[in-house]
Amino acid sequence: MSNFVPLETIDRRALIRSLALGLTAMGAMDVEAAQHVHVETGAEKAKNGIYKVKAFTAGEYTTIQHLAVLIVPADSVSGSALDAGAPEFIDTLASQNVQIANIFHGGLAWLDAEMRKRYQATFAAAKPEQQTRMLDALVEAGRELAERQSEELVYQKSPIYRDFTGYTVRRANELGAGVAFFDWVRKMTVDAFYTSPIGFKDLNYIGNQALGKYTVPTEAMEYVMKRSPFA
Amino acid sequence: MAQNAISQEIFDAVVVGSGAGGGTAVHVLTAKGLKVALLEAGPMLDVGTEFKEHKVPTDYDHRGAEEGGKAYFGKGKPFGFFSTTSGGWELEGEPYTVGEGSQFQWFRSRILGGRTNHYGRMSFRFAEYDFKPYDKDGLGFNWPISYQDISPYYDKAEEFIGVAGTIENVPSCPDGKFHAAPPPKVHEALVKKACDKLGVICIANRRAVITKNLNGRAACHYCGQCGRGCQSASAYSSAQVQVFPAMKTGRLKVFDLAMVREVLTDENGKATGVLYVDKQTRTEKIIKAKVVILAASACESTRILLNSKSKEFPNGLGNGSGLLGRYLMDTVGFGLSGTVPALEGMPHYNTDGYGGAHLFMPWWLWDKHNKLDFPRGYHIEIGGGYSMPGVGSYHSAARRHGYGANMKTKIREGYGNTIAFAGRGEMIPNIHSYCELDPNVVDRWGIPVLKFHFKWTDYEWKQARHMEKTFAEIITAMGGKVAGLSASQRESQGISIPGTIIHEVGGARMGKSAKDSVLNGYCQTHEMKNLFVMDGASFASNPDKNPTLTINALAWRACDYLAEEMKKGNV
Repeated sequence: MSNFVPLETIDRRALIRSLALGLTAMGAMDVEAAQHVHVETGAEKAKNGIYKVKAFTAGEYTTIQHLAVLIVPADSVSGSALDAGAPEFIDTLASQNVQIANIFHGGLAWLDAEMRKRYQATFAAAKPEQQTRMLDALVEAGRELAERQSEELVYQKSPIYRDFTGYTVRRANELGAGVAFFDWVRKMTVDAFYTSPIGFKDLNYIGNQALGKYTVPTEAMEYVMKRSPFA
Repeated sequence: MAQNAISQEIFDAVVVGSGAGGGTAVHVLTAKGLKVALLEAGPMLDVGTEFKEHKVPTDYDHRGAEEGGKAYFGKGKPFGFFSTTSGGWELEGEPYTVGEGSQFQWFRSRILGGRTNHYGRMSFRFAEYDFKPYDKDGLGFNWPISYQDISPYYDKAEEFIGVAGTIENVPSCPDGKFHAAPPPKVHEALVKKACDKLGVICIANRRAVITKNLNGRAACHYCGQCGRGCQSASAYSSAQVQVFPAMKTGRLKVFDLAMVREVLTDENGKATGVLYVDKQTRTEKIIKAKVVILAASACESTRILLNSKSKEFPNGLGNGSGLLGRYLMDTVGFGLSGTVPALEGMPHYNTDGYGGAHLFMPWWLWDKHNKLDFPRGYHIEIGGGYSMPGVGSYHSAARRHGYGANMKTKIREGYGNTIAFAGRGEMIPNIHSYCELDPNVVDRWGIPVLKFHFKWTDYEWKQARHMEKTFAEIITAMGGKVAGLSASQRESQGISIPGTIIHEVGGARMGKSAKDSVLNGYCQTHEMKNLFVMDGASFASNPDKNPTLTINALAWRACDYLAEEMKKGNV
């Protein structure tokens, strides 16, 4: 078989594509056509029925749903990470990658064990204020850990470090495992939220459009200049 | 490896590589009526499937984190899932090695069009002084050509690929043939005010994007997604703008998945074609041609020449000077960002524009080097605006603000308030930065691989510190707060890792004589009249201007020369 791609194939494909975009004979009309394509591709896919959980037990999934609402709650501007499909997103990736699945299996089990120790209830069954107290503790421990790590970095680079073998850096506190898990559930929940149409709306993101002309609104320019040191 | 029968067809020219240099070569040569073969180590480009322009994260279940969340483990595509890049710093089965004590990352693109599919499309002409750097400060090497030699070809390249910009008369960054440039965005206008105050020149950016229709390509529709590939070819890519049209002439034959091993020569000291591995069948094949043009990227072309060993050329082709692989350069990179309170609460608008920043800062101290502690200049690129939210966009903000209603509000308020600066500076070629063949390693095609050695010197480190100081001054002048580097970060991240700016050039540099260079001013090897190198390998220096436009112009000039020489019977 020849590696040569027949010209007709390329031509036809290119033609079909440009027709699809409406960009062959340019002009205002074609910008509208292109805009239509943008909207089409941007439209959220239809959801058929109820989501079927693939990687987690019902209990685990309920906890992930609770966490989604706690991490990104609904407010007057937009819905929550649960509305934006964060649990489905986490479940989908966990079903494709055992490494992610295990981070969540282990992390959720740790969370329930810690909750039982503190409040004699699993995370999902605990009172809302107990859940937030737990998450507050994890955030606080996370900050402390980050500070220590940066101290450790600076210290390891210093010449004293090499000579002072008795020094050991405390790598983690008692919540270390929980901190690592919370970082995972938070980053994936936040990603799922902000990449959704609900998240786009929350941030008021208005790009990804086909425009005939690019203009910058005077209103925005004036707003910023007035508040700048150059006013 | 099995060897197939040699193709009987003899082409006028065989071009290896389909990026900026190869794309220009096939365009110019087929237009002159030559019969050309083009070899690409990757597959054909299918714009419809490869370009993710206009897509949003929810078009994919993984939202851009890639199958199994690869991006979370640092194993995603180099510039994110939506980028059109096909390739990266690590390619399965195609390794390279790095010498002890060196750091170097080699980006390879393996698809028709190469890196022009994803590149930033910054298109700056070299200045007059850039061609004679040694005359200016006694460092590095002069080019054998001058600005006057290449200027008409900058004109041709700009007129053909299309570059938007404005006429400014800045000596460090000569004007060109420009399409109209889009207006500055709000944060850029603010940057310009700060630059005016500090005496830094800030002008319209120059990018290879058309703002009026050109040769059947539609004007930019300002979706801001050039890095994902442009379906309407409003942003230049060699595949869409040069290779596909050249195929339509009927004089170009494209061989994809063709990994070239070496240039073949005869006893008369002439190149006769190339030997390549057909990746699909894992067989060796030969293409015969009257002229061989390497445009496989600076280091890949160098590798092919080093691997083209014979009794007559025991150290590889064009290597009589021993300089093949030497004086490899990348661009000096450094970045700093800050948050700017004046932007808080701005009425949102569409900041996509024509895909990159609408303003930039060319080197403004070209005549003040005697007052600086580093010899060469840099330009500054601006980042900012309301970009499309993606996987990873808010990880650090989330860590900073905990969780819950407070975090959500803080992320919303902080959206679009950050302005980032990236410096792109000129490196002085040095003897510690080069590539050679690794005697112990071959790739999966059996081809010996490159081993890299690289060192930044004080010239580059001091330039990066000047970038840091300048960016901090600009951020402060805007009333912003610098997201500062700690002492340890400055040590580890104070300058880009060599290779990561993907401006690696040199290796087969051009010069006046065969004693001190590989190529002459027409990208022709001194030692073999029908062998040319039309990519960044030819660069004698690496000015702060991004290399692509100059590769386009040099290739065009070389092809004009080559066609004339063929007519005269000299090649």
